[in-house]
Amino acid sequence: MINFVANWIRSIANETLDKTLTRLVKDQYIENLFELVPAAKKVNPINLVELAMRASQGTPVPRPLGSHIHFSPWEKILFNPVHLFRFPTPENVGIRTSVTIGHRTRKPLTISIPVMIAAMSFGGALSKNAKIALAKAATLAGTATNSGEAGLLKEEREAAQLFIGQYNRGGWLNSPEKYRLLDAIEIQLGQGAQGSTYQRTTAKNIGEDYQEVFGLKDGEDALIHSRLPGVNTKDEFIELVHRLRHETGVPVGLKIAASHYLEKELQIALEAGVDFITLDGAEGGTHGGSPTLEDDVGLPTMFALTRAVAFLTKKRAFGEVNLIATGGFVTPGQMLKALAIGADAVYIGTAAVLALVSEQLLETMPLEPPTSLVVYTGKLTDSLDIDKGAKCLLRYLNACAREMEQVAVSLGKTALADVSKSDLCCLDPFIAKSTGIELGYIAPENQGRFFGEINDFDLNQTQTSHTLDSGQH
Amino acid sequence: MKLQDLKTTLDYFHSEINRIETMAGTLSTTEREHFNRLSNFDNRDLMEMAIEEQTAARQLGTVKEICLAMAQKIEGMKAAIDQGEITGSLDHD
Repeated sequence: MINFVANWIRSIANETLDKTLTRLVKDQYIENLFELVPAAKKVNPINLVELAMRASQGTPVPRPLGSHIHFSPWEKILFNPVHLFRFPTPENVGIRTSVTIGHRTRKPLTISIPVMIAAMSFGGALSKNAKIALAKAATLAGTATNSGEAGLLKEEREAAQLFIGQYNRGGWLNSPEKYRLLDAIEIQLGQGAQGSTYQRTTAKNIGEDYQEVFGLKDGEDALIHSRLPGVNTKDEFIELVHRLRHETGVPVGLKIAASHYLEKELQIALEAGVDFITLDGAEGGTHGGSPTLEDDVGLPTMFALTRAVAFLTKKRAFGEVNLIATGGFVTPGQMLKALAIGADAVYIGTAAVLALVSEQLLETMPLEPPTSLVVYTGKLTDSLDIDKGAKCLLRYLNACAREMEQVAVSLGKTALADVSKSDLCCLDPFIAKSTGIELGYIAPENQGRFFGEINDFDLNQTQTSHTLDSGQH
Repeated sequence: MKLQDLKTTLDYFHSEINRIETMAGTLSTTEREHFNRLSNFDNRDLMEMAIEEQTAARQLGTVKEICLAMAQKIEGMKAAIDQGEITGSLDHD
């Protein structure tokens, strides 16, 4: 009987496919479903569906997890292993992985690996279970997790050995009785995926636990302002940093969405005396930002980082003020490259969430997306196994740290913090020129000559083209 | 508290912190060896333990680094006392 049904289905499928292919070949494009293929290729499938979503909803489409565009060309940079010129690190030598953030403060924050869990808020982004799982994993790995723009979630604070809280534009963590419970304070003025725009969570998406943590009344929306309440001038920002540092003694930092005004923003941060700066590149993730904010606003993480390192070095603040890079980090190779360029640590968001749910994907598939396990408004948040998720994330963090250690051994280094720009080479002349990483095609002693020749070539080309233009006139 | 008492206390802290630093370093090495041995077995539970050992090794490495930083601060305080930068009685009534 089963064989008969199977054969029957097979024959129907065969007949249908034959007819479909025949129609695809015989029909003119205007009557042909295949029209969708070149159309989707022209506008790209993501843009096509988002176009239809905009047409249906009439409002910005909140896309989760940030931009799909890879702005930072990490793959154009490679590490240089050593053999004789310098010897690799012996295998019985442990690689130091710890980092201290805010070493000038009364209570510096020391983490065991240079990878932290990024700011993803309870309520605005993630469920309580997801936040607790992230905090547990961070604690097991000896690193820190971040509150995101939220109030103080007690369960998260208790699960996190090291907890960075965001002094935020919603004002929900900005009272002394809350921020005094933090191990570091990050003043949040923007994020890579959303710039510095306002964000609103409507009351219909706010549950009782959300209201309690955020201190909201019934029917009240949760609003993240475009400006930090009470900070409308540079002096007010400086005064805020001084007050928080004095009151708490913990590292106080600034988080911004990286932009072409980077150096101007960093100058004010240095004047304020921040202990660390978090740069969120254009690749930064979010629970749901409009595609335009995600794809068309900001500066890529790699270039934000190289520019910040150059600026801090020029101001003699490199090493004094810690740099934390975030936005788009997925592989340990990308993370270590950021450390080599000059970051003290990196934050991971999207990668952490994906690692967290990796073994529980089958709970959601194929009818719901995996994020429904962790997003506050997701349908399956109660199904998330906190301990299982935390263990998955711990394994991911451990594997990342281990892979970074392996590279450090191959570079002849004994600490991840010792990996530097000189351990890298680059496969793109423009990136080499902009980042200061040597070009891999050319021997170190010929780097200057190569770029000199390029300049001469450009100059000659320009002169020739001017001459030709003049001739034509 | 008199300055000499403070200096004695700092000596005590310095000595004990150095001991903790050495212990953390030794334990970190032991944990790393445990990871190597446990990861030789093709067993999921043992592999889980191996990963926990490796994480513990890193955290003990962190303890060692923190101890080193604290010992340096204490050295600085002791030097300040010796050079007369900290003077007088530290009594609190």
